[in-house]
Amino acid sequence: MAGKLKVDQIEHSTAGSLDTSYVVNGSAKSWVNFNGTGVIAARDSLNVSGLLDNGNGDYSVNFGNAFSAADYASTGNSWSTGSTGFLLYGNASANPTTSASRFTTSSTTAFGDSPIIGLSFNGELA
Amino acid sequence: MKTPKFQGTHLFDRLCWAKENLEGVQSDYRVVYEDSVDECSKVLIADPNWLSCALQGGILPPVWVYHELAKDEATEGFTKHTRGYLLHQTEPVGAMTEEEAIEYLILKDCPESVWKTYNEGNRLKMVICKKEQLPQTREWRNAWKISDDLSLTDLAA
Repeated sequence: MAGKLKVDQIEHSTAGSLDTSYVVNGSAKSWVNFNGTGVIAARDSLNVSGLLDNGNGDYSVNFGNAFSAADYASTGNSWSTGSTGFLLYGNASANPTTSASRFTTSSTTAFGDSPIIGLSFNGELA
Repeated sequence: MKTPKFQGTHLFDRLCWAKENLEGVQSDYRVVYEDSVDECSKVLIADPNWLSCALQGGILPPVWVYHELAKDEATEGFTKHTRGYLLHQTEPVGAMTEEEAIEYLILKDCPESVWKTYNEGNRLKMVICKKEQLPQTREWRNAWKISDDLSLTDLAA
């Protein structure tokens, strides 16, 4: 049954209490796991409207519900099929906007497409 | 499943409802566009969970809401959205076909400079195609461009 609890604090029987603002502000507001090789496609996501393949190892994530400002935080990881891992960078040529964020994946020497990319975004929504 | 009456419900809460209650839909459509002479063609893909929202109806706001927020963000001195309520308070759009959803996504996520003038100038700047129409090889893809041979009649419906 749908319902709403409107409380400012929750308390565990032994481990103490927590302001619910921690939960609201600390939860990821958008995340996605996608295949960045071939014709890229999301495996699963929340609050993502689309993915953009900008080129070799270069991707953007577009949000369904924009963030209130462009200073949200992002974390992520990318896998490689080779012996060395892929690094995940924010793309320096495109500052994040409230509605999209651009990333690149690369080895230590060159950009490359990653088969598994996971990204998570925290911040205040518009 | 019937969509609850969502007008006034925070868009994020609607998307959470959709994630819990709707199956994601992978689209076969891809949008290829060029927005910079210095960059290769870009390929836009609809997110499966987002597409299920579009097909379901009653969840996503009208696309003009995103354009209003983009206008705000383009204003000099912008730091934070103050009209986010447009996303939540505006009556959601009804169910779309997959083709209508892709058109909506273009208007939302492609640069305005692309979709407003995609068929003007010397060559096409944007094409909607099926994913199997994209090159299968990944070689030299930082140099991929929309074919000069394509005309308006080549656009997928």
